[in-house]
Amino acid sequence: MKILTTVKKVVDVELNMHVKDGAIVQDGLQYVINAWDENAVEASVQLKEKNGAETTLVSIGGGDNTDMIRKCYAMGIDNGIHIEDPALNKADSAIFAKVLQKVYEKEKYDLVITGKQAQDTDSGQTGIMLAQYLGLPCVSNVISIEVTDDKHIKVSRLGDAGTEILEVELPAVVTVSDSINEPRLPQMRGIMMAKKKKINEMDLAALGTSADDVGAAAPKSEVIEFMASKVRKAGQKFEGAAAEIAAKVVNLLANEAKVF
Amino acid sequence: MNPLLMSLLLIVGLGIFARTMYYKITLLTALEPADRFNHIIERLKSVLILAFGQKRLVGREKERASGIMHAFIFWGFCVLIIRSLNLYGEGFVKGFQLPFFGEEFILGYLYLAVKDIMEGIVLAMVIYAVYRRAIVQPERLHNTFEAYLVLCLIGILMVSDIMYDAARYNLIVLHGNPDHLHFFNNPQYGSEFLWTPVSVLAAKLIPLTEDALGYIMVAGFWTHITTQLIFLNLLPLGKHFHVITSLPNVFLKSLGYPHDKPKLLNLEDEAAWEDESLGLNHLRQLTWKQGLDLYTCTECGRCKEVCPAYMTDKPLSLYDFNENLKHELYANAANIIKRAKLSETLKQTGDSDAEQAEKIKAEMAELNSKKQLVGDVIAEDTLWACTTCRACEEVCPVTIEHVPRIIAMRQGQTTIAEAYPKELNKALKGLERNGNPWGIGYDKRADWAEGLNVKMMADDSDAEYLFWVGCAGSFDDRTKKVSASVVKILQKAGVSFAILGVEEKCTGDFARRVGNEMLFQMMAQENIETLNNYKVKKIITACPHCFNTLKHEYPQLGGNYEVIHHTDFIHRLVKHGKITLNRSLEGKLTYHDPCYLGRYNSIYEQPRTILKSISNDGLTELGRHGNESFCCGAGGGRMWMEELIGKRINVERAKEIANLKAANVAVACPFCLTMIEDGMKELGKEEEIRTRDIAELVTKNMK
Repeated sequence: MKILTTVKKVVDVELNMHVKDGAIVQDGLQYVINAWDENAVEASVQLKEKNGAETTLVSIGGGDNTDMIRKCYAMGIDNGIHIEDPALNKADSAIFAKVLQKVYEKEKYDLVITGKQAQDTDSGQTGIMLAQYLGLPCVSNVISIEVTDDKHIKVSRLGDAGTEILEVELPAVVTVSDSINEPRLPQMRGIMMAKKKKINEMDLAALGTSADDVGAAAPKSEVIEFMASKVRKAGQKFEGAAAEIAAKVVNLLANEAKVF
Repeated sequence: MNPLLMSLLLIVGLGIFARTMYYKITLLTALEPADRFNHIIERLKSVLILAFGQKRLVGREKERASGIMHAFIFWGFCVLIIRSLNLYGEGFVKGFQLPFFGEEFILGYLYLAVKDIMEGIVLAMVIYAVYRRAIVQPERLHNTFEAYLVLCLIGILMVSDIMYDAARYNLIVLHGNPDHLHFFNNPQYGSEFLWTPVSVLAAKLIPLTEDALGYIMVAGFWTHITTQLIFLNLLPLGKHFHVITSLPNVFLKSLGYPHDKPKLLNLEDEAAWEDESLGLNHLRQLTWKQGLDLYTCTECGRCKEVCPAYMTDKPLSLYDFNENLKHELYANAANIIKRAKLSETLKQTGDSDAEQAEKIKAEMAELNSKKQLVGDVIAEDTLWACTTCRACEEVCPVTIEHVPRIIAMRQGQTTIAEAYPKELNKALKGLERNGNPWGIGYDKRADWAEGLNVKMMADDSDAEYLFWVGCAGSFDDRTKKVSASVVKILQKAGVSFAILGVEEKCTGDFARRVGNEMLFQMMAQENIETLNNYKVKKIITACPHCFNTLKHEYPQLGGNYEVIHHTDFIHRLVKHGKITLNRSLEGKLTYHDPCYLGRYNSIYEQPRTILKSISNDGLTELGRHGNESFCCGAGGGRMWMEELIGKRINVERAKEIANLKAANVAVACPFCLTMIEDGMKELGKEEEIRTRDIAELVTKNMK
């Protein structure tokens, strides 16, 4: 079984982001693996451990992704592909999905596992679009994957009414929820061994495609501007006798907040 | 008496003993190296204080009685060594006396007196020891056959020697010394009888016939000699090996720092991964000193009694810990010795003969114990229960270093075995990504200092001191107040200082205590680079864990700084008149010693001096204080693990504080602050008993 996992590098959401002149201030930001993609990596490594599989990850953009990919190696991923091309600087989900399609078609895989969305854009489209481009079945928001035989997997997904259990014919694309597993922390031995492993770095040409081919020459959607989200004002704390506080609060609600 | 019999006994007795000792020493030499032969004078000093002075036996109030008992038995043995040599001589030459110990020397008489009285005292102590074991039965003691056997043998040794003298005296006095037995008599010093009250008294009990006394004397002599040789040969076989090994063990104890620092592992070393020599994964990886520690464990159980894990029903009994390791060491002794020899051969073979080398390696692998060190010999829950508080080491009369073995085993568990509590992952990941175990964005590290007018090193690297805030001081809401208090004090005293702000990362203490050497080194290297970049020389910190790591462990990676704990620094400020304290704190005040400040760094007095200067009600000590303070439960990475087994350590400590009816409890460590305050909340006493850091108390009570 060959599994392809997609991994995106995103801004560490623990950090405060600042916006200046419609762009995110890069100073002081650090980038980490997208949390859902980490679940996807864990899911493919678990499948490998249980059923035996060759696991490959692909990551697009992000500059130097060496650390992130090495960590995935340390988690148990076998091969890593990193695609970096200036033409992809303004790419949207559709373009990423196209690139991923090319990656898929080059090697052919039995199963593609992606995180259900990325922490930075939260759009949740790439995996589904990829399935569309490939003409493969797709299950989103998956919380468990089980290989039933060579040709089928059984997956559970969180649906509106509860957990849905589906049998899917392979090849297929699944996008995973963060409740599918608890990603392991890369262990030291794995980290040390991963240092020696190669990463397959390539641009669009090396992938056998071009900006035009994947639609990067004319993106269908584009981010024009970033705006900072509104910071909530800190609450007020009142101390003293209950009756006095009540009076004060009522006064403020009536005259300042004007809720009455 | 009988040179032939004497020779036979000595040859057999000492021969078997020498053989046993040879084997024990060979086993030690097969273990890993340890550098313990420097600073001889200092080492002799600790032997004098701890061994001959019996400091940890007599010095502890609650153990005074048994301490005195042991001390006299020990001193008795020291005294009796001369007597033994004399008796061996007597076996060959009638009336033999060691030089300067004969009847013409005052030394001879003095020695006789001391020896005689000592024998009486030791006998009394043996009786007390039996009474204590059989009737009082202290919880820490394990009543074993060996214990009674050895007490019995000591009793026989004393009685036989006393009876030998007593019978001799009666033969001389009552029967006119028919056999021309020797006895001291000197016009200047009087006769031997004047100097030996115990034997004279014993003589009064046996006014028998000449024949009977003759038999008693001969029997007393040979019983003493044979018992002594049997005793000598029994010692290495059990816990009484300490009689032989404790003096060297004390002599070889760690100096300068209370125990071996965690080993700086080279994770890049492929051979170490292959050999599984990162951390302690096999007993052969103990250092010979740690092997000697195991030989020396007396099974006295003092370590258990002060252990926060054991006292709250965790499955960690250091008594069993030592026992299990010792048995496993002995069970594998032959293989360990064989393996060490093969290892030597392998080194000599080198790369010259690859085939031969592979063969040796395979043979070596065969010699590993079939048991997993952690898992089969030491249970995982046992290993992870330790808070690394070092209370066990402080009370151990023979200076066994318990904690480094635990850290080394944890290193093995996180590197080779990859089997550590997974609940640590969140904190470890936080450390890796954002340099703090909470995993809060590193960009918020200096948020606590907003509006406090604190300089950043990036803006003013000329500041004299760096205030190392630590993760708790930066991210934990409660501890941020402590950081603010420290700032207030430093500003008041006009100290030139700055902080690193977002450039500071966890020192790596927590990672190292849980065996994650990679993260520790990563944190330490990055911090050292930052510190050296700003040419930082002096560091003040309010966290004893940061303090300990910066001061003692960063030098392993080339970071050398003068590190000062805030209590020590405040103490200096007061002493130099930079700040003036008011004795205005009302209510009973007590102090909880943090382990990494007290036991690890011997800072006991400075916090107390400060507290006494601000408290209008003095300072009331907790039952367990100073070097016997009871850990809050957060050290050794336990802060980041759930406490699911037994009682909660912090609640037990909080109860102790509550029982004292204190109104204020001072702490000097952010973890202690959290743990004690949480304990108080658990008891519903957080309003009644206020838990505050010394810095907070100082800001509230300074002019």
